[in-house]
Amino acid sequence: MSYFLLQVLNALSFSALLMLAGLGLSLVLSMMNFINLTHGSFFLLGGYIGVQWLASGAPWWLAFPAAFVLCALTGWLLNQFPFRQFYQRPHLMQVLLTYGLSVIFADLMRWGFSADTLSPVLPQALRGGVWILGLPFPTYRLFLIVAGLALALLFWLLLDRTLWGAAIRACVQDAQIVETLGLDSRRLFAIGMALSTGLAGLGGALGAGMLSVYPGLDEEILLLALLVVVVGGLNSVRGTLLCALILGFVSTFARMWVPSFANAATLAAMLGMLLIWPRGLGGPVARQV
Amino acid sequence: MTSSSLSAGRRQLLLAAAASPLLFGVPRLLRAQDAPLKIALLTSLSGPFAALGESMRAGLELMLQQCNYEMGGRKVQLLVEDDHGKPDEAIRKVRKLIARDQIDILGGVISANIALAIRDIVHDAQLPTFISNAAANALAREAASPYVFRPTKTSWMLGHTGGLWTYEHIEKSGGLTLASDYTAGREYIEDFAHTYQEQGGALGERIWTPLGTPDFAPIIMNLAARNPKFVYTFLAGSDAVRFHQQMQDYQLHGKIQIIGPGALYDQEDVVTAVGQAALGGVSTFHQSPGAAGAQDFVAAYQAARGRLPGEASTSGYVTGQVIKAGLDAVKGELSNKLAFKQALLDQPIDTAFGPLQFDPRNNQSILDIYVNEVRQDAQGRPFNTVVHTYSRIQDPGPRS
Repeated sequence: MSYFLLQVLNALSFSALLMLAGLGLSLVLSMMNFINLTHGSFFLLGGYIGVQWLASGAPWWLAFPAAFVLCALTGWLLNQFPFRQFYQRPHLMQVLLTYGLSVIFADLMRWGFSADTLSPVLPQALRGGVWILGLPFPTYRLFLIVAGLALALLFWLLLDRTLWGAAIRACVQDAQIVETLGLDSRRLFAIGMALSTGLAGLGGALGAGMLSVYPGLDEEILLLALLVVVVGGLNSVRGTLLCALILGFVSTFARMWVPSFANAATLAAMLGMLLIWPRGLGGPVARQV
Repeated sequence: MTSSSLSAGRRQLLLAAAASPLLFGVPRLLRAQDAPLKIALLTSLSGPFAALGESMRAGLELMLQQCNYEMGGRKVQLLVEDDHGKPDEAIRKVRKLIARDQIDILGGVISANIALAIRDIVHDAQLPTFISNAAANALAREAASPYVFRPTKTSWMLGHTGGLWTYEHIEKSGGLTLASDYTAGREYIEDFAHTYQEQGGALGERIWTPLGTPDFAPIIMNLAARNPKFVYTFLAGSDAVRFHQQMQDYQLHGKIQIIGPGALYDQEDVVTAVGQAALGGVSTFHQSPGAAGAQDFVAAYQAARGRLPGEASTSGYVTGQVIKAGLDAVKGELSNKLAFKQALLDQPIDTAFGPLQFDPRNNQSILDIYVNEVRQDAQGRPFNTVVHTYSRIQDPGPRS
């Protein structure tokens, strides 16, 4: 019994990780209609920032805000040039631009942070484990689950329940109308991009404690994030969250029962969901990507 | 008259034209003697094996600096190419190195599939090649080539000794295996299981996990539920780092004995990253920072890069040592490839791995295999300490 409960907690912690990877991308991809393949690079960058911060001896809890702020700043700079020039271009152009940039970033990070696998030095409060029904469970994973849920809630409220969220979605539908209403769509997009890259960086800093950071993590995370966002349904935060939850559970229990086929099982589940809900879990969308 | 004088002039011109390549050619021929020998290093500087590739290059460069870029009395020039960890890219680079750069010797290669992919090209070009790191058994058996030397181990050499050690010193039953599901993992597990069962050991379940598994927690929970006596496991790089760390997170570290081929506890790219979580781990490896023959290299590498060397850096260094031994024996004269080969086969070479002797059947090295246990050293660092040495382990080689 406790064994299953612990596997459920494992699944939840992996879901939280998927959620952290997917949230930022869902904002850019579905709300802003921009295909950003550098998303994984920001996740990795955030991870490196977290690792460096935790090793530096500065207050540990500031590592996560620092990763958010620094990645958001980088995202904002990239928005000024060259992302902004590509928002109105065809998707293929965006793919070429952002894929090329992700390769450049991978090289820069390998040069700046070395090619080694790095693990964060976790503070005493997050290390160690708690006993749940007689079995040990890492404290850090509980922290990850709580952080993931809190961020998801915050993000959903921001996009689905605030005027700002409505405005950014309106910008995608018809930027000109939004402009005539007196809103600056360029500024909205700049904030959106910064928020998205900041979230990716935060996810990376939080995920480093579970995954470690190393060159190549950027691509792995990008793939997971795309999966979560696309299967979850574009234009729907709830769909993204639901999908992260489902894929987290499917891959965890696949690893537990049939470890050799864990990847196949996860992809089969994704395929199944797309066949049943071609528009993703989040319901209908007005627009195609 | 005019026609004959003209033809005389033409004859002189023709003669001069015919002689000119000879005139210019003589000094060029002379120069070819002291032109630098071109040694190329093919390694992975990007992609999943980037860290290993960087270390391999650092190891070889350290060796070249120590001998002042001179081998067998000739200057040596090093060319480095990145294979991105992909066989097709490696093939392209090797073709370019042979055709355009006209290299004399090729070394390097991290992964087995790349070593196998370039094997036919270097064989056909009769290019002296040194496989520094890739362990695939096939290269010592059906895919062996008279031009390809392998200063490093085969999977069998580690799996076999792992089986011997586990049976004699750990448990005779009640263990299971866990490995990344690709060629190297399959080879190590099969060779381990074969030897272990041959000794009389009984082996439980075999767990396979895809290469690049992000979360080992579900598998670790299964290990906890089954509570085996030991786990023989092959994971490398970031997979190994995550596995050790998550074992510690779930407080299983130290409760289940972990043993495997050395990549599981590589001093440079795994132990450094996981720290205390590596303590108590046992591996069989042809490399150890604690090995007697490695001490000078370990000190020099630490001075150069500020850390202990692992397999890839030692491989790079040993590749340089082996090439130097061969070139010194033939005084830098590579045109006679048979003499070069014979020189390599003739006598054992002292390397940073330990004593190394090439097997004349397949040019595969015969090496000492160390049983390393990760213990704290004098400074409190986790350190691969040699607890036993299986001397002169030789791959079964080509089956007749």
